[in-house]
Amino acid sequence: MSNIVNEENLNDELKFLSKKILELNKRLIEGEKAKSVFLSLVASKLNNPMTAIMGILPHLKVVDTKKNKLLFELVCKEAFNLDFKIQNMVMASEIESGNIDNSYALVNPTEIVDEVIESLRYLIKDKNIEIKIYNKLKQKAVIDTKKVYLIFRNLISNGCKYGFENSLLEIDLEIKEPMFVIKVKNRGEAPKVKYKPEIFTRFSNEVSAKHGLGIGLSVVREICERLNGTIEYEAEDGFVTFIVNIPLDEKMLDSTTYGSNEFVFDSFDGAIEL
Amino acid sequence: MIEGNSTFIHVGQIHVDYAPAAISTILGSCVSVCLYDRKMGIGGMNHYLLPFWNGNSLQSPKFGNIAIPKLIDNMLEYGAGIKNIEAKIFGGASMNISSQFNMMIGEKNILVAREILREYRIPIVAEDVGRENGRKIQFNLQNSKVLLKYTTKVGNETRR
Repeated sequence: MSNIVNEENLNDELKFLSKKILELNKRLIEGEKAKSVFLSLVASKLNNPMTAIMGILPHLKVVDTKKNKLLFELVCKEAFNLDFKIQNMVMASEIESGNIDNSYALVNPTEIVDEVIESLRYLIKDKNIEIKIYNKLKQKAVIDTKKVYLIFRNLISNGCKYGFENSLLEIDLEIKEPMFVIKVKNRGEAPKVKYKPEIFTRFSNEVSAKHGLGIGLSVVREICERLNGTIEYEAEDGFVTFIVNIPLDEKMLDSTTYGSNEFVFDSFDGAIEL
Repeated sequence: MIEGNSTFIHVGQIHVDYAPAAISTILGSCVSVCLYDRKMGIGGMNHYLLPFWNGNSLQSPKFGNIAIPKLIDNMLEYGAGIKNIEAKIFGGASMNISSQFNMMIGEKNILVAREILREYRIPIVAEDVGRENGRKIQFNLQNSKVLLKYTTKVGNETRR
């Protein structure tokens, strides 16, 4: 009898507290709404012109003087940088809209890493970072290319940006069944935060300004969650290492490309209709 | 037999469509709210993991208090009338974790759905929530019916 009374009390308490949290949370959401609107505006208004610029840039011919070459490099560097920021905002906006799906393809992850390094070549050159890839992959993997590309781009870009000049950045790729494990390690200062999760907070006020907008890592964490994976970081002895674990589904390896819409449901024979 | 598009949604996704179409998902302690405007033949579903946004991460629809208002907004953008919308809610099971440690996530997810739908004055015309089994559901927009099957438990694990 007393157990039933206790359970009823507990349920009432839970309802009361949940309603209180819901009320407080509503104010918090309202207060933060501007950030979401900003993200969505940027995503929709800047993405198309930026895509056009990125498409045109490789076709520009520079009159062959040293000064022109330098200026052109500067334009390319800033364009790549801006495109990267916009891609992060587009992804953040897609995640916030709920209009995002996983789309898998059989790819070689090292090709994605090479593409990312190519897109960051100006930053890498500026800071004279040496990049070493430890590739322990023996096979291609079925992964969501677009999302994994953004994970690599954010982690490698952060490693270069916040790593010391003339230092080494190590990228470790491995499949530890059933996980695809990515490690990005750089020599540099760890983000100055009180609690680890703060560095994955969007537009965090807690993270020092030199550590960016706080959108990149929040996007990476969300992407990892979408892929049923995790992201962790370790900072010790002057090294910062980000570790991403993404599960590889064996069934996925049977096909080259497919989206989750092709998820095969068991039959609904004998199902309840409501 | 489903006619039109058939879409599977994961945690943090929202899908709204016109009939004929179907939307399906698999739920554990997560909750899905299915909304339907019978008059316009518009239906939608979300799938959220946690009841409340934590104020830190993106305002993603993996949180109930983000996912439900967003689903309603999407329904209205598609042309549904707020007064015609009916709701069905599913999920919120207490999964394999001992009740001492699961922080009653399923219960809170259900509670948030009821509370927000009440605020919007959207009637809940059917529900299958709570208990310990996972569920797979398929929302057929052609007749606004939801087919529901419980997932089978094998030992301590829930098989999809």
